[in-house]
Amino acid sequence: MNDAGPEPERDQERELEALLELSRRGRAKLERLHEVLTTPGHYGTGATPAAVVYRENKLKLLRLLDETGQPRDGRPPVLFVPAPVSRYFIIDLLPGRSFAGYVAAAGFDVYIADFGTPGREDRFADLEYYVEGLVRRCVRTICALTRNEAINVVGYCLGGTLSLLYSALHPETVRRLVLLTTSVDGDVEGGIPWVAHRMGLAGEDYDNPRLVPAAEVKSWFEMLAPGSNSTLGRVSDLWDRLDDAPDRLREVRTMASWVDDVVAAPGRLLAELYRKLGPGANGLMKRTVTVGAQRVDFAEIAMPVLSVSAEKDTIAPAAGVDAVRSIVPHAEILRLPGGHVGIVAGRSAAALWKRTVEFLGGGVSPGET
Amino acid sequence: MADDKTTTDPSLIERWLTEQQQWQRTFLTYMDSMVKNDDFLVHLGNALRGSLLAGKAYPTQPPPSASAPETPSDDRLDQILFALRRLEGEVHDLKLTLDELKGERKQVPKKTRPPKPREPQ
Repeated sequence: MNDAGPEPERDQERELEALLELSRRGRAKLERLHEVLTTPGHYGTGATPAAVVYRENKLKLLRLLDETGQPRDGRPPVLFVPAPVSRYFIIDLLPGRSFAGYVAAAGFDVYIADFGTPGREDRFADLEYYVEGLVRRCVRTICALTRNEAINVVGYCLGGTLSLLYSALHPETVRRLVLLTTSVDGDVEGGIPWVAHRMGLAGEDYDNPRLVPAAEVKSWFEMLAPGSNSTLGRVSDLWDRLDDAPDRLREVRTMASWVDDVVAAPGRLLAELYRKLGPGANGLMKRTVTVGAQRVDFAEIAMPVLSVSAEKDTIAPAAGVDAVRSIVPHAEILRLPGGHVGIVAGRSAAALWKRTVEFLGGGVSPGET
Repeated sequence: MADDKTTTDPSLIERWLTEQQQWQRTFLTYMDSMVKNDDFLVHLGNALRGSLLAGKAYPTQPPPSASAPETPSDDRLDQILFALRRLEGEVHDLKLTLDELKGERKQVPKKTRPPKPREPQ
């Protein structure tokens, strides 16, 4: 006979021990969550000091400043063009983890187009307004400020599409072009337009556009990320994450503050993009795309181009991004491990930052002073 | 919050009691933050939706009744407002062009200024 007592009692004790451990772990998670929710952190704004050098409608053109509060004017200017349907600070996420900050630290005079949050009247904004209006005036403003005839442009996601179209229309003002996870082939499976097409959705109404609510834009992104489109799935993910250290959780929170903070989108812009570049129309690959009344001729793009895709990108599938070589044959194609956001601001983003700085620093082209 | 430590190993029942007290403390900490910090409620609400989004509430679809139908006059006003926004940009374009012209004018005389005729000696 065992001294520890009868078997059923020992089983009961073991169960109670296990329950106690479960209780402790659950409580520790809640305490960690409380700490993260009540500790100030870097959320919702760019990480690098910046000055606003131009405003138009909701757009703010930011110029990054150095440690002394002065703009860097050593190496040629670089304009970052993020997607207008999300917040700009993904490219300037955290001190020490900022793509734009990294490029600035390499000596470039860095600018970021913060498109802001559209108001109801901005539902009438179309592709021409963004390309020939906001992006073109950002470039003109930078050229005027720095007395350069051409600058570097780095476009991310839909911002890359705007940058590509702009560069074809005004090639003399672009020194080097970087396209990050910018989908070119609208017929490649995956991505929001393709899913909408497969679901038989007509897309937004061009003539009577609405301001597409942020929650709806968010739901489209969630469709592409299995598990993120149910509250239960998200809560379960968060609960698992609460085992991480508070410092790591703060980083997760910074990223979540970008991922979950989408902005409303102008319906007319979305309608035009879907009609012109979406599945079937595929206007970039078929070279039929127009901006306003202008036909876009990609043969005009003679400046060096770097296009970067992400292996696990569900928003802009890598095959659709790499297809840029069909319309810009001299483009350098780089495919990196990671997802749509991870390659720009994740823990493995350093590979992209380093290559971008090398690319932007290469060669001197006409128009550069 | 660290668990209380004692020199002798407490029994299972004692450890359960301690754990209950810790839960009460955790609960009170949450209650305290809810009362003292309005943002905490927003952040906690986000966490209950599985998001660590800071600074604002997790985006949700407004109920259909919340969005008032747009009247034709609202629509026209929005169109006018957006047209004004476009004009704002075009005015900036004009200003940039004027600055360029001024810059060119300043440069041109320097480049094309004829040399002064030499004084007869």
